[in-house]
Amino acid sequence: MATTELTRPSTRPAASKRPAGGRGRLARLGRSLRRDKLLYLILVPGLIHLVVFKFAPVGALVIAFQQYSPFQGISGSSWVGLDQFHRFLTDPAVLKLVKNTVILAFGTLLFSFPVPIVFALFLNEVRTKWLKKSVQTLSFVPYFISSAVLVSILYTLLSPQGGLVNKVIEAFGGHSVFFFAEPGWFRPLYVGMSVWQTFGYGTIIYIAAMASISPALYEAAQIDGAGRWKQMWHVTLPSIRPMMIVMLILAIGQVLTVDLDKILLMYNPSVYETADVIQTYVYRQAFASRGFPNYSYGAAVGLIQGVIALVMVVTANRAAKKVNDSGLF
Amino acid sequence: MAVKAQQSRFSAFGAVNATILVVIALLCVYPFVYIISVSLSDGRFVAAGHVFGWPKGLNIETYRYILSTPRLGILRGLLNSVWYTIAGTTFSVLITFLTGYALSKKRLFGAGAILMGFIVTWIFDAGIVPAYIVNQKLGFVDNWLVMVIPWGFSTFLLIVTISFLRTIPDELEESAFVDGANDLQVMWRIYLPLSRPVIATIAIFYAVQIWNSFLVPLIYFRDRSMAPIQLVLYNLLIAGDADAASFQQIQSHGHEIYPVNIQAATMVFAIVPILCFYPWAQRYFSKGILTGAVKG
Repeated sequence: MATTELTRPSTRPAASKRPAGGRGRLARLGRSLRRDKLLYLILVPGLIHLVVFKFAPVGALVIAFQQYSPFQGISGSSWVGLDQFHRFLTDPAVLKLVKNTVILAFGTLLFSFPVPIVFALFLNEVRTKWLKKSVQTLSFVPYFISSAVLVSILYTLLSPQGGLVNKVIEAFGGHSVFFFAEPGWFRPLYVGMSVWQTFGYGTIIYIAAMASISPALYEAAQIDGAGRWKQMWHVTLPSIRPMMIVMLILAIGQVLTVDLDKILLMYNPSVYETADVIQTYVYRQAFASRGFPNYSYGAAVGLIQGVIALVMVVTANRAAKKVNDSGLF
Repeated sequence: MAVKAQQSRFSAFGAVNATILVVIALLCVYPFVYIISVSLSDGRFVAAGHVFGWPKGLNIETYRYILSTPRLGILRGLLNSVWYTIAGTTFSVLITFLTGYALSKKRLFGAGAILMGFIVTWIFDAGIVPAYIVNQKLGFVDNWLVMVIPWGFSTFLLIVTISFLRTIPDELEESAFVDGANDLQVMWRIYLPLSRPVIATIAIFYAVQIWNSFLVPLIYFRDRSMAPIQLVLYNLLIAGDADAASFQQIQSHGHEIYPVNIQAATMVFAIVPILCFYPWAQRYFSKGILTGAVKG
């Protein structure tokens, strides 16, 4: 597979024709600065970007401990200690937010994890090459389309005024449903859309893993009298198990990062009951509030979530490395 | 291989399996076909529910109307998106390649620490609010450069670039040094031409990301005239734009244009560039995905 050529770092030790060494970090830095000044020069834009757009926002998190006012800036705003966090923990809306976040996150995981495995398992049994390739190509299309377009399409299809789905429901004698205004429909729609959007992506990964299974294993299974089903169950599935575990762990690590774009696109006040999650709440506090935007509260809530997500990602990555010697970073 | 040939003989399992898979794959893309079809149909047939697959009352009046009526903002949004994507991809590829090139040199003092800085800020996301505070201070609100600069440098793609550059043998560089070339010449003349595959990969990633971005313009553009096509679509269809409500049924060359036609055509505008590049996008995206998932 060409991929491995593209990505595997050379294991050969860097044959440095200019030997490193010397005493002390400063001396080494000085020599490196002289010798590699052009390399440092081309590093400058990236370094500025790192400091300004990646480090500075982390520093700006101090507003979570302030009552930040855009007019007074970070240095002029008053410090309030942990008040914002206290407010979050005693906010009556929080229980609902956390519940919605967890249900949406695990609901998505529950479906978007197994679907590509099953799909890839059966797709792998297709022996006609062009057919296999076409199915893979078509199912990967939604992954590239923006959430804005996918939600718009769903909106059109499910519209109570002449939407295709409601036309079909009416044709069968039912009553048309305004899906996007029914709290009960939000979760199925969100999860369904996530599966539609991402299962082609998962399929590619699993198909690649299956492609590297040795044909000898299938030959041996056939000699032992195993049919198609037995081969899928006893050869294919166990062979991709390490990949499944890694994907599962990584998915769990990112489970709390629900797709803010998608929810903002899909929800409206009539479905807040099931659709409002921590991130959308932060968004509204800071960017869509009727009165003064409450940046500090938004930052505090965001910080809590960021820390939880960090712990989950790092733990998941450790676990993934243990299982398969491969992680995200 | 002999086994595979043996298995390819006709079987009920194979036929049923292939049929189901093809149906699922077609269902995945059917909504797009439907939308394209609506955009090309006469509004009366759409409203009556007669359009399913093939357009009814085939016409391109909707597109003609959108392209000749700037006040709708759709054409503006499309041009904005094209510009943001071109400018953003250029900037992103440039900064990623330059930084990646410098950091791929193990002899560079501090390269490891800098890379660590990128990775740490990648894992720990400060969130949308602190980023907004910083970007607001820097004047990115209602500034088109917000689509290009602040999110224009991905740590994931930086790592992909570095991994690729490290596969290029050092001997090439060494012999160029012997010939008296400096680092810039080596990068430009030797590494850049060899890096075409990785540059294509990251360019596609960035372009798709910028073209599809929605949250950033939603937060940063209060000025409607800057909205990219994704935001225009949102305002038109979901957010209940005042302009959208003013869409009346329009007669044009004997065809009726309904609001649903205009909405569908806007979605097509937002999809078509992606579909045009899809063959490359699919190939290079797969490579990128496998890099991310299999090897970090």
